[in-house]
Amino acid sequence: MEKIAITGLGVISPSGIDKRVFWSNIKAGRSAIEKIERFDASLYSSRIAGQVKELEGYSNVSSRLLKKIDLFSHMALVASELCIEDAKINLAEENLKRVGIFMGNAIGGWLYAETELRDMYLEGREGVSPFMASAWFPAAPQGQISINYGIKGFSKTIVADRASSLMAIGYAARTIIRGKCDFILAGGMEAPVTPYALLCCNTSGMLTENNDQPHTAYRPFDKNRDGLAIAEGAGVLTLEPQSRVTARGAHVYANIIGYGTTTDAVNRIEPSDDAVQLGRAIKIALDDAGLSPKDIDYICADGAGSKIGDASETKAIKNVFGDYAKKVIVSAPKSIYGNMLGASGVLDVITTVLAMEHNMIPPTINYETPDPECDLNYCINKPQEKVIKNAMIINRGRGGINCVLILQKP
Amino acid sequence: MNTQTDIESKLKSVFKKVLDIKESEIVPGAKLDESLGIDSTEMVEIAVVIKKEFGVAIKDNELKKTHSFNDIVGILKAK
Repeated sequence: MEKIAITGLGVISPSGIDKRVFWSNIKAGRSAIEKIERFDASLYSSRIAGQVKELEGYSNVSSRLLKKIDLFSHMALVASELCIEDAKINLAEENLKRVGIFMGNAIGGWLYAETELRDMYLEGREGVSPFMASAWFPAAPQGQISINYGIKGFSKTIVADRASSLMAIGYAARTIIRGKCDFILAGGMEAPVTPYALLCCNTSGMLTENNDQPHTAYRPFDKNRDGLAIAEGAGVLTLEPQSRVTARGAHVYANIIGYGTTTDAVNRIEPSDDAVQLGRAIKIALDDAGLSPKDIDYICADGAGSKIGDASETKAIKNVFGDYAKKVIVSAPKSIYGNMLGASGVLDVITTVLAMEHNMIPPTINYETPDPECDLNYCINKPQEKVIKNAMIINRGRGGINCVLILQKP
Repeated sequence: MNTQTDIESKLKSVFKKVLDIKESEIVPGAKLDESLGIDSTEMVEIAVVIKKEFGVAIKDNELKKTHSFNDIVGILKAK
């Protein structure tokens, strides 16, 4: 595929807001998973999470608007502002009908929704805020970003569970190639640390129950893994075609050069254990990039932390990469700040472009006991110095969704 | 019966509460959309709070006809 440049990024995460703080915590492998204290989670089987702090310190959103939007929209607005500033784009000079917004989200604005549902049952219909109409749904942040900047171009919100934002980025890159937009704000946001959302995530069976050790609970590829730690946050990128990058002399973090997606068609929660369709998505992305497996220097893995998730991801990589599967370096840095569900893909992209910039592979933390079913060359617990020319990012979602993006250092 | 001043003062406090704006922005002739930037959901929220504070229900079709702060004062005065 034609190269599409990543020229700006904004990150809101439990490991910090803004790229400098975020990267220093990722590089250090400093866990940001903590006990949930903002509500009583004591009866939940999983009661730890990566939680965003100090959002207000970075926010220019008015208190009037804050009453009308959910936390996931608030985080998306702040991430967009950081991103546009980082990309040095002056929107006043742009044709806003040719600017797009592509966001990914899995569950919507549940803090707002569940609070209003409670009010409906306690106070009746009139107890429900009219702002509910525009606050809860997955495309609400896209709408708020467009209103905030007057952006009127071709835009979409993708809902594909944990693959949502990686899919949004892949689709955005395709949209630029088709000539529908001059540039696109692409990314995702998720705010699942709320009583009802956490309950639903718990019943899905995908969360770790190692509550006594929050910092070491999320351990992708370790034999004693028991699920992921949930997290909240948002990430936004500016994607631009090469012609525009050259014309405005923009800094390029990395280029998107390949994208592939497939579905398992097997189970509504678990991925297929034969990993055939994930392997096919990897091959499609490699073909799209015009690369062979040996060209890949680093794989930023999905790392769901479930028995079947990590074993089948390992299997897919081995099936496609052959002998080289034991050499290519693999890690799941989301083990540091938690799994941001629909926003996890954009966080993986941000982590990978920062890794390229610093010539350093970020680690999977909490890996202690090897699993014979997960026997790849993992970057464990400490970062590893390495020049990364080409990197692959894998995201998967419930419903058998497989999504793969390939980045190249400029 | 409330006086015009009482109604204005109470309605100002409703606007302040719902819109999170300064009292000085709410002048009698203030246009609901152009001056105060009120959208349709905020208008519904204002109606809900008016019902709680004044005990007066303003119907949808009445609400749609209002253009300024004074229009709402007029409706409340007539009820």
